[in-house]
Amino acid sequence: MQIAGQSAELPEIRRRVRIMAILILVSFLGLAGRLFYLQIVEGDNFYRMTSEAVIRTKTLPALRGEIRDRNGRVLATTRASYNVEVVPDRIDRQQYERLLLVLAEHPTPLPEWESFLEKTAKRRDRPYQLAQDVSRSIMASLEADMDSRGTSVVAIPRREYPFKQLASHTLGYLNEVSADELRTLSEEGYRPSDLIGRAGVEKQLEPYLRGRKGFRKILAERRGIRPSEIQLSDLVDGPIEVAPVPGENLILTVDVDVQKIVERALAPHRAGAVVVLDVETGRILAMASTPGFDSNEMSGQLTLDASARLFGNPFRPFRHRALSETYGPGSTFKVVSALAALEDGLISPDEKTRCNHFVQIGRRRFKCTKNHGVVNLHKAIVESCNVYFYELAMRPGIMNRFTRYANELGLGAPSGVGLPGENPGFIPTEQWHRERAHSESNNSTFMIGHVLNTAIGEGANRVTALQMALVYTALATNGVLWLPQIIERIESYDGKVLETFPPRVRRHISISPETMAVLKNALVGVVNTPGGTAYKARSTLVKVAGKTGTSQVRKGPDPKTGEPPLPHEQLDHAWFAGFAPADNPRIAFAVIIEHGGHGGDVAAPVAVNISERYMELLTSRHADASPSTPPGVSRTATAASQARPMVP
Amino acid sequence: MFRVFHWRKLFHRFDWTLVFATLVVIVLGFVNLWGSARESQYQLFARQLSWIGLGGLIFFVVASIDYRILSRYAYFAYGIGTFLLVVVLVTGKMVGGSRRWFDLGPSHFQPSEIVKVLIILALAKYLNDTPALEGRSLKHLLVPLGLAGFPVFLVAAQPDLGTAMVIMLVFATVMVAASMKLKTLAGLLTVGVLAAAPIWEYGLHTYQKNRVLAFINPALDPATAWQPRLAMNAVGSGRFLGKGLLEGNQIRQRSLPAQWTDFPFAALAEEWGFLGCSIVLLAYSVLILWCLKIASEARDRFGAATCIGVAALLFWQVTINIGMVTGVLPVVGVTLPLISYGGSSVLTIMTGLGLVMGVSLRRYSY
Repeated sequence: MQIAGQSAELPEIRRRVRIMAILILVSFLGLAGRLFYLQIVEGDNFYRMTSEAVIRTKTLPALRGEIRDRNGRVLATTRASYNVEVVPDRIDRQQYERLLLVLAEHPTPLPEWESFLEKTAKRRDRPYQLAQDVSRSIMASLEADMDSRGTSVVAIPRREYPFKQLASHTLGYLNEVSADELRTLSEEGYRPSDLIGRAGVEKQLEPYLRGRKGFRKILAERRGIRPSEIQLSDLVDGPIEVAPVPGENLILTVDVDVQKIVERALAPHRAGAVVVLDVETGRILAMASTPGFDSNEMSGQLTLDASARLFGNPFRPFRHRALSETYGPGSTFKVVSALAALEDGLISPDEKTRCNHFVQIGRRRFKCTKNHGVVNLHKAIVESCNVYFYELAMRPGIMNRFTRYANELGLGAPSGVGLPGENPGFIPTEQWHRERAHSESNNSTFMIGHVLNTAIGEGANRVTALQMALVYTALATNGVLWLPQIIERIESYDGKVLETFPPRVRRHISISPETMAVLKNALVGVVNTPGGTAYKARSTLVKVAGKTGTSQVRKGPDPKTGEPPLPHEQLDHAWFAGFAPADNPRIAFAVIIEHGGHGGDVAAPVAVNISERYMELLTSRHADASPSTPPGVSRTATAASQARPMVP
Repeated sequence: MFRVFHWRKLFHRFDWTLVFATLVVIVLGFVNLWGSARESQYQLFARQLSWIGLGGLIFFVVASIDYRILSRYAYFAYGIGTFLLVVVLVTGKMVGGSRRWFDLGPSHFQPSEIVKVLIILALAKYLNDTPALEGRSLKHLLVPLGLAGFPVFLVAAQPDLGTAMVIMLVFATVMVAASMKLKTLAGLLTVGVLAAAPIWEYGLHTYQKNRVLAFINPALDPATAWQPRLAMNAVGSGRFLGKGLLEGNQIRQRSLPAQWTDFPFAALAEEWGFLGCSIVLLAYSVLILWCLKIASEARDRFGAATCIGVAALLFWQVTINIGMVTGVLPVVGVTLPLISYGGSSVLTIMTGLGLVMGVSLRRYSY
C-alpha cells in the first residue's frame, strides 16, 4: 500500500533532524560538563564528605589539672574509675540477674530486669551504664564472672578530693555541663556529658584546669566496607590524631594543716566561717565555711539521700560564708571608727568620756553593754564601750570619715580574690542615709542615730569575713591592704611553672605610728587584760590581738514574710577578728559564727584556738626542718623578741 | 504487495550498529544493577534479565514486521493504550499516593510506559496521512495535540508528572521535526510560558511544587531537597575512576529511594566515576544519533516520525534522569532507558527500538 506524497516533507525533516542531532550532542556535552564539575572539579570534596560517614572522630579527653596546697599536698586530682556497662540486646535475664548478684555490694541501687528493660527500651543496641565507679572488690568478682559479652567495664577519669569535705567551698566541685550552657559553651569545645567546674577554684580557673581535648580519627567498619582498603590520610584534611593536653595544675595558697585546724575549730558550730590570712603576703592560708559538703559526693553521682541531706539543709551548705555572705560587722568595726577619729585628729587617745550605760537622743536611748564609768579610747575598745563611740559619732562630719576609712580598708568593695560568688558588702554613706530617709518619708532628715549605729558597726554596714580579715591584716602590717590570693602559681602538667602570683598590695594606708600603737595596744588588751571582752578566751601559748563583735540580729518578725525568727535565729552573730602573735603578727583572721551569741564567748575561743594550733604547727614544722636550731616561734610570747621585717 | 515477515531482509540488512549500541547500554545497566543492588542482587538481576530477554524477543518481532502494516493498527493500538490509562486510574494499584500500576501478581505493569510508544505511532500515522509541504501551523497541530494531550491528561491525573512531561516533550520534538512552522513554535512557547502560572497554581500537587521549589532553593525544605542532595554526593564522590564495583558506600549505606528505578545513574557515577559516566553518555549518544540517522534515511514520513519519536523519547529520558541526579533538574520519576530496573520501561524502549530497527531494515526497498 502506498500513500500519495509519501516522500513529501522528507527533505525538510532531514534538515531539521540534523539540527536536532547537533542540539542533542550539545545537551549531552552539557551533562558531561556537569559531571566533570561534580566528579573532577569538586570530586575530592564530595569524596571526603561522603567518606566522613565511615570516619569516626574519637575524642580523647584531657586529664583535668590537679589542685594542690602550698606544700604540694593534693586537694583535687583525677583517678580512674570503673563503670559497668551493659548492652541490653546482648544480655538475657539470667545473665543480668547474675550480674546484679555480683553488683549487690554497690552502694547505689540497680534496676530489676523489668525496669532495666523499660529504661533501655529505646536504645537496645547501645551500652547502658549500669553502675558508676564500682569498687575494687566488685571489679575482681566481675572479672571472674565476665562470661557474657554484653557486659563491659569502662574506665573513665573521675575527680577525687582526697580530703573530702576539707575546703570544699573554696575548691568547688564538678558536674555535667547542661544543655542550656552548651548553647554558648559548645564553641569552647564543651560537649554533652563533659564536666565543668561549679564553684570555688574549680569554677574560677576552669579554663586552666580543663586542658585541651585531643582526637583520633578512625575508620569504622561498616557493612560492605573494608576499612583496610581505604587510606585514612586520603580522606582527612589535617592531622589524624591530636594528643590531648592535660590541664594545668593549680598550687593554692591554702595550707592543708591550717585548713584542718580551722575546720576543726569551726566544727562545733552550726554555721559560720573563718578566714586566715598570711599577714606577710595577704595570701589565704585557710578559708572555711560550715556547714559544708563533700566535693566527691557533688562531683560524682549524688545519691538521693545525700541530695536530700544537702539541699534540704536549712543552713545552706553550698553557701561560702567566708565571702558570699555578709553580716553586720558589729564591734569589730570600732577599730575603723577609732582609726578615722584618731587619724583626722578629732580625738586624742587620752580624751575621756563617761559611760552611763546609754546615750539619750530625743526619745531614743542608745544602749551600751554595761555602765563602763570613765572610759578613754583604750578602754572603749578593750571593753567594747558603745557610749564612747556614740559620743565620737556625735561630732560633726564624722559619718563621711567613717565611710572613707571603711572604704580605704577595703570594705564595701570586692576584695579581688576572684573566687566566684564574692559579695562586696555595703558601707553606707551619708548621702545614702539621706536618700533612704527621704524615700521612706517617715523622717526626711539625716538622723544622727544612723551615725551612732555606724560607729559601733551596726546599722546598714555589711561585710564579709574575708573583708574583716583583710582589715585586721592591714592593722597588723601598719597599713598594708593586700589583694587576697588563693592561687599561688600555675604549673603545667609536667611541672613547669607557667605563672606565679607574687603578693600584691592593693594600697598602702597611711596610718601614723602613734595611732597604730594605740590601736594595737587596745587590740591586745581585748584578749589579754582583765575586763577585755575576750579575756576569758586568752591563751597562755600565744598572744592574740583582736576585737570581738556581736552583730545584732532582727528579733522581731520578718518585715516581708511576717514570720518570727526561729529560736536559734534569736541569737546575735558572733565575731572575732584580729591577728597573732600580737607582737610579731604572722596570721590575721576573722571568725564569724552565725547566731552564735556574744563574740567574746563564742567567736574569740575559735580564733584563739586557731592561733594556738597554728603556732604549734609552725613550731613542729620548724623542729622537723632544723632540729638543731631553736624554733623561730616559741610556745610563749618571747617570740616577740625575734624581730621580723615588716612588709611595707 | 509485501510479506508480513521479511526474515531474509532482517538477516541481510541487519543494523549491527543499532543492536550493538543497544547491547552496550543493556550491559552497562546490568553491571550497574549488580553494583547498586544490595541483598537482593540475584533476584533483581534475574528479573531484569528476563525483562531484557522478553524485550529482545519483542524487538525482533516488531522489527521483522513491516512497519507499514503496523501503521494500519496505530490508531487502534493507541485507543487500547488510552483505554488502559483510563482503567488504571480506576482499578490501578495505589503505590505512594498515585495509581500507575496494574497488579499482575508477581509483577506490575505500568501502562503509561507503553503508551509513550503508542502515541509516537499514532503521531507518525497522522503525520504520514496528512502531508503539509508548506509546514505545519496551528490548525495542523490540533489533531496531534489532541492525540498526545488526552493521554497526557490521564497520566498527569495518576499523578505521574514525569511521564506526562516526557510525552509532551516527545510530542513537541516530533512536531518540530515534522516541519512545524517556526512562527507557530514561537507562538506556542509564548503561550506555554504564559500558562505556567495558572498551571503552577491549580495544576500541581503540593509535593510536586515542593520538589520544584526545593530544586530552585534547596534551603527551603531540607527534607525534599535530601534526595537530589544524596544523589549528587554519590555522583561527585565517584571522582574520575569511581570507587569500583560494589564499593559505592553512598549507594549501599544510605537508602536512596527508588535507587534501581529512578537513581541508577547515581550508583553508576559513584562506582564507575567520570569515566563510566562518559561511556554511558557516549553509548546513549550513539544510540540516539543512530536513530536520527535512520530517521533521515527513512522512505516515508511514518518511518521518519517513528524514529524521531523514539530518539526523542530516549533523549529526553536520559537528559531528565541524569539532570536530576546531577542536580540540574528537579526530581521527577523518569527512568534511565535500559539501565533503570523495571519491566514496563524495558519493554517500552525495546519496542521503540524494534520499530526503529524495522524502519532501518526497510530504508532502501519496498
